[in-house]
Amino acid sequence: MMSGQQRSRRQTAIRLFAREFYESSLPDGGQGEYDPRFIVTKLGARVNRMFVCGVVERLERRDTERGPMFSGAVRDPTGLHLWSVGSFRPELHIEMEELVARFEGGDRFLMACIGKSNHYTTEDGGFRCRMQMEGYSIINRDVYASWLIETADQTMRRIDALGKAQSAETTDANALRDAGVPKDLIEGLGLALNHYGEWDSEGYKVGVLQALSAAEGRVVSFEEHEAESPSENDGENKGEPEVEASEESTESPAPSTDGLEIESVVLEIVAQHAGDEGIDYDSIMKHCAQRGLTDEDLIEDTLYALRDDKCEIMEPRFGWFKTL
Amino acid sequence: MSNPEEFEEEIRAVKEAVPDAEESAIAGEFTRYRDEFLVPPKHALRSVIEHFQKEAGMEVNAPKSTSSRPAAKSVERFTDLSSDDKNVTIEVEVVTYVPRMTMVRGEEKQTAFGWIEDNPWEEGGIRTRWDFKDWGNHAESLGPGSVVRLEGVSVNEWNGKRSLNINQTSRVAVLRGSERKVVAAPSEPTSIERVLGMDGFATVVARVISTRPMTVNKKDGSGTLDMVKGRLADDTGTIGFACFGEFEHPVGTLLKIEGAAIRRFRNTPELNIGDRTKVEIYHDSGFATLDDLEASSVMQIGQLRDGSSDVGITVQLTSWGSRSFTGQDGAEKTVWGGDAVDPTGTCRLTAWTELPIDEGSLPLALKLSNVRVRSWQGTPDLTVDRSEQAEVLDAIPWEAIDASKHSVEVDFTELLSGGSRSGVTSTATVISVAPGSGIIHRCPECKKAMRDGACREHGPQEGVEDLRLRIILDDGVSNGALILGRDSAEAFLGQTMAEVREATQVDGGDAFLAELRSRMLGQKHTFTGRAIIDAQGALLMADLFVLGESDLAESANEVRERWGVFA
Repeated sequence: MMSGQQRSRRQTAIRLFAREFYESSLPDGGQGEYDPRFIVTKLGARVNRMFVCGVVERLERRDTERGPMFSGAVRDPTGLHLWSVGSFRPELHIEMEELVARFEGGDRFLMACIGKSNHYTTEDGGFRCRMQMEGYSIINRDVYASWLIETADQTMRRIDALGKAQSAETTDANALRDAGVPKDLIEGLGLALNHYGEWDSEGYKVGVLQALSAAEGRVVSFEEHEAESPSENDGENKGEPEVEASEESTESPAPSTDGLEIESVVLEIVAQHAGDEGIDYDSIMKHCAQRGLTDEDLIEDTLYALRDDKCEIMEPRFGWFKTL
Repeated sequence: MSNPEEFEEEIRAVKEAVPDAEESAIAGEFTRYRDEFLVPPKHALRSVIEHFQKEAGMEVNAPKSTSSRPAAKSVERFTDLSSDDKNVTIEVEVVTYVPRMTMVRGEEKQTAFGWIEDNPWEEGGIRTRWDFKDWGNHAESLGPGSVVRLEGVSVNEWNGKRSLNINQTSRVAVLRGSERKVVAAPSEPTSIERVLGMDGFATVVARVISTRPMTVNKKDGSGTLDMVKGRLADDTGTIGFACFGEFEHPVGTLLKIEGAAIRRFRNTPELNIGDRTKVEIYHDSGFATLDDLEASSVMQIGQLRDGSSDVGITVQLTSWGSRSFTGQDGAEKTVWGGDAVDPTGTCRLTAWTELPIDEGSLPLALKLSNVRVRSWQGTPDLTVDRSEQAEVLDAIPWEAIDASKHSVEVDFTELLSGGSRSGVTSTATVISVAPGSGIIHRCPECKKAMRDGACREHGPQEGVEDLRLRIILDDGVSNGALILGRDSAEAFLGQTMAEVREATQVDGGDAFLAELRSRMLGQKHTFTGRAIIDAQGALLMADLFVLGESDLAESANEVRERWGVFA
């Protein structure tokens, strides 16, 4: 199928919500020096170039050996899109300096960001995705709403294609094509089905609903959406603690200042009570309860954050923790 | 309007963190996030807290920058690993894989354990066998017998025995599957629709809908070659064929053609029937009849492809004229031509023979059969070689189209996955404004844009000033470059070329480009013009370019309807 020619073509900018992107863990391509690199999402999008929008939530300048770089994040209804402007893109630096100044002065704004997908691996083998910015603009609410609608549409198109692909007899290209999978998703869905195994796409549908509601002017949070549509509730959040750990708890720690306090208490408990084997999950909960901490979800999130992001503790066996 | 009660919980949380913050100001901030940025209060909480912490001069608990993490360790043998290794990459063969449901923290979770062996590639080599646990549900990739590369796995030591943990975040790449993929038998027939998108060889069951014996001169001048060209159809589409040798099947015959090579002429695939192709008469009383196939194989302008032949089509002719020229052999020749439209687009018509067309009776309808298509810069050109290929109809089969204003709205991806077309309107998002947009200088000899005062072919020149914008349009599935020439650029910018020159003289155009990008990036725009599509991608030439208009509520509703998603 002319793939040789298509590869050299300009990559289309995939529209996707934050959650679909940061839940991805499958790189593809990039064998040769000039081969494009992709990240394949659970819905089979092969993401090289991407187009995302949201309100700016982080923006900072960092100085590296190779010169200044900038990193930031914009929030969409499903989470944060992390992006960076490398030191090798000096043409964007002047504007970025201005944006940082605006941000630090307390200004917040909606951004449209176009860039290339990128990934890195954490110490424990965790796969993290982010975007390298190629271009951006400050947009108004209507342009953002238009992106929400388009991205909802594209996400549903992929969810629909995934359903068709799952009903196919095998995951090879011909079988997927015969099952009605659109041409641009055949390769990605083939890879995704083999890599991600069984999972439930309902959670992504909730993001779609939330985006459409927001675009229609009814701004509700994920949690409220769940309450509104109990049928969408199955397996949400609970099945994917990894996501909580990798994204939400690093990027938006506990809502009040308690977050840091809990973290230090948990860390202290693990440090004090862990023997050679570590301390088991239930014992941590008991110790926390003795100190007046009873929010199990929050403590669990904190444990994951300490393990995956702060790298203060490790989990040598499932459910057993010890300090590094 | 801010309503403090609405954000009661969130305001309390902010007050906990920043006791001095004013409630009305907090509510105002949440309202702004909700109304301006479409962010619900729960998600805005952290940003709002930071805002007030900053305002109160408190230290902000910004997430700390990523600390340095140990690099991945890649090994070949289990013996190279130590008990505290994490983020390990190793290639292994899976020996067994036993899934089991376990209760973990009150939840049922599928995990698995089994054996893996290192050194999977060496025939008869020494292997070490380890236990593994799969916490990440990689059952699909870890089939027994398959060779996989494990990335991001960690070593576990328990009572002196080491094993590998394959975590949720680990990646498993299958290097050799446990079962060989089934290869479809080559004699299995494929639908023509699918053949049109394939390369290589194909087998089809199809009916002959036209044949035309012809004689071609061999390229090496050693003589002539007899061949038959024609068209085959099934109920999914039609495809041209070329047979080098005898082809004595009359129109209407149903054939099974096995192992024909797919060749592309320009953009059009064609089946080549050669020495090794097996052609036999096929019997299937349920197959679409010749009449049905002929009726459905009549094309519309929007479907024309450069290089097609044996095309049947009905068009509305809107202009007609002729010109004479002296041919290579010195003889005076005449060629006739005009513009044609149908409800799907516009194209050109060229005739190498006089047709019974009276300019005074335009517009008129013309039914063409077995004509060929050549495209010139994105506009298809229907070529009539013999007078019997064209028939003037009594009436235009649609309400007469005003060709000067005719443009057909086409979905962006549909346009880009088809052939070259003109007279089309489509909408997509601006993803990039390419450098080189603005004032350019063209070589006076070849009209190509010059760089640094020199033409690539004709060397340094005094260039002719021109205005051009190059924009990448993208709808999430397809993308293409759009060119705005001077007229359409001036109209879009609301600036004359002189004004653009003035704006770009200061800094070489950087500010002009930056301004253009901030005005256009991420926003939907609509263009009217033509599309030149070839193997390299799409080039769109715009006569008109405007910011897209859309009704948000309506498009949101369309998406809900299309996929059946309702809150």
